[in-house]
Amino acid sequence: MTHPRTLIALAIALGGLWAPPAFAQGSAAMATAPAGLYQALGEKPGITRLMDGFVNRVVKDPRIGGHFKDVKPAALKESLTDQICQLSGGPCKYEGADMKSVHADMDIHKGHFNALVEVLQSAMDAEGIPFAQQNRLLALLAPMHRDVITKR
Amino acid sequence: MLFATPLLLEQETAMKHRPSLTLLAAAVLATVSGWAQADTGKLLLTGGVSTIAGSAGGGLTPWAVIGSNATEGEVGVSAYATRAATQDYSLNGYGVALGLHERLELSLARQDFDASPALALNGIAPFGVAPGQHLKMDVLGVKLRVAGDAVLDSDSWMPQIAVGLEHKRVHPGSIGSVLDFLGTQTSGTDVYVSATKLLLAQSVLVNGTLRYTNANQNGLLGFGSAAPGKNRRSLQPEFSVAYLINKHLAVGAEYRFKPNNLQALGAAAGLGAALREDDWKDLFIAWAPSKNLSLTLAYVDLGRIVPGITNNRRQTGYYLSAQVAF
Repeated sequence: MTHPRTLIALAIALGGLWAPPAFAQGSAAMATAPAGLYQALGEKPGITRLMDGFVNRVVKDPRIGGHFKDVKPAALKESLTDQICQLSGGPCKYEGADMKSVHADMDIHKGHFNALVEVLQSAMDAEGIPFAQQNRLLALLAPMHRDVITKR
Repeated sequence: MLFATPLLLEQETAMKHRPSLTLLAAAVLATVSGWAQADTGKLLLTGGVSTIAGSAGGGLTPWAVIGSNATEGEVGVSAYATRAATQDYSLNGYGVALGLHERLELSLARQDFDASPALALNGIAPFGVAPGQHLKMDVLGVKLRVAGDAVLDSDSWMPQIAVGLEHKRVHPGSIGSVLDFLGTQTSGTDVYVSATKLLLAQSVLVNGTLRYTNANQNGLLGFGSAAPGKNRRSLQPEFSVAYLINKHLAVGAEYRFKPNNLQALGAAAGLGAALREDDWKDLFIAWAPSKNLSLTLAYVDLGRIVPGITNNRRQTGYYLSAQVAF
């Protein structure tokens, strides 16, 4: 292996490896709603249907249903609809509690978080939302794992 | 038992060549089927597939992901069987991997390489290579995730980073005399660092691995070389990129740089480029019909493998791998 190739490889590898965390965490551009996502989700009526199906699935899911036994499904649907509507760039305002305090008293492992993602994927499948659009929404939600998962 | 039929098909294909593969796969299935109830919770395909060396990743290169379906607080296991064939060679492989808390991965793999063309080496010197000789190699792998979350940290550029090692031991049979002549060792250890990032909003996964190695053809031709060949290890980069078409389907490509330790020794012996080694490339499609099964089909270009005995042909062909994971 020649030296220039080694250097190029090192530069690429290290550039990927040691991106400063400050740049990583503070990247506001990645947190803003991607163009067209709100429309792709079917706007407010579509998101309302999606959250209806999502919550109905969640409370029945053997892995995570127990976490929601003290929650009123109708209130949860309404709150989540506002949250997803706002996140995806819609004209809504989420006025519920922040993710950290909502989940602070619960035993939530990464497996539970992943199960929730899977349930959301199947709810989006049922609404006919294309996979690429699903991932654009999931990319906005996944970082919440830092506040939602309480047991590391 | 949704996964039973394709797996059995793969077993039947491999059975002709290695009866023990079927036994091993059956034993592993029997062992892990009891674990399936453990309900491990990794997202589909985010544990990667099994590499030819047993660790989780793409087909040819390890990724920073930890194998099996187990996430934090869980223990999981995976097993795989692989067959690859090119113009002049073929490789059967199988192995198991244990994933602990999405933190530590231990893997064990066995490769069986049909090196029949090596018979021609007897024309160069009286090596005593037997007809239809196979090279076998065992690989013990350890991988530790040291930082990041490849999937969930989708608001940052920070990848998941892991460090790993692959300790390999080759059993050359009657080709041992050739490896002695080349001055290669029959065991060696690669160390590597991998960075994997799922660009979730784009449905694209990228991986970069930097490997420190002196393995010839991944170790099948031993490690290092007598002078003037290159005996010392060198840094070799490996890259993978994959596009997720849907939850169950990914397509991608890999490029793995390789050292070319033996060519100078061959040239000094008057054999020209007979011992040249090239980079490895592949195009793959991976299908995970369920969380417990994935099938990977790839077109591989392994470049020249001892071109002096294979009419200088590039070795291209297929790669097929089945993995069960719990």
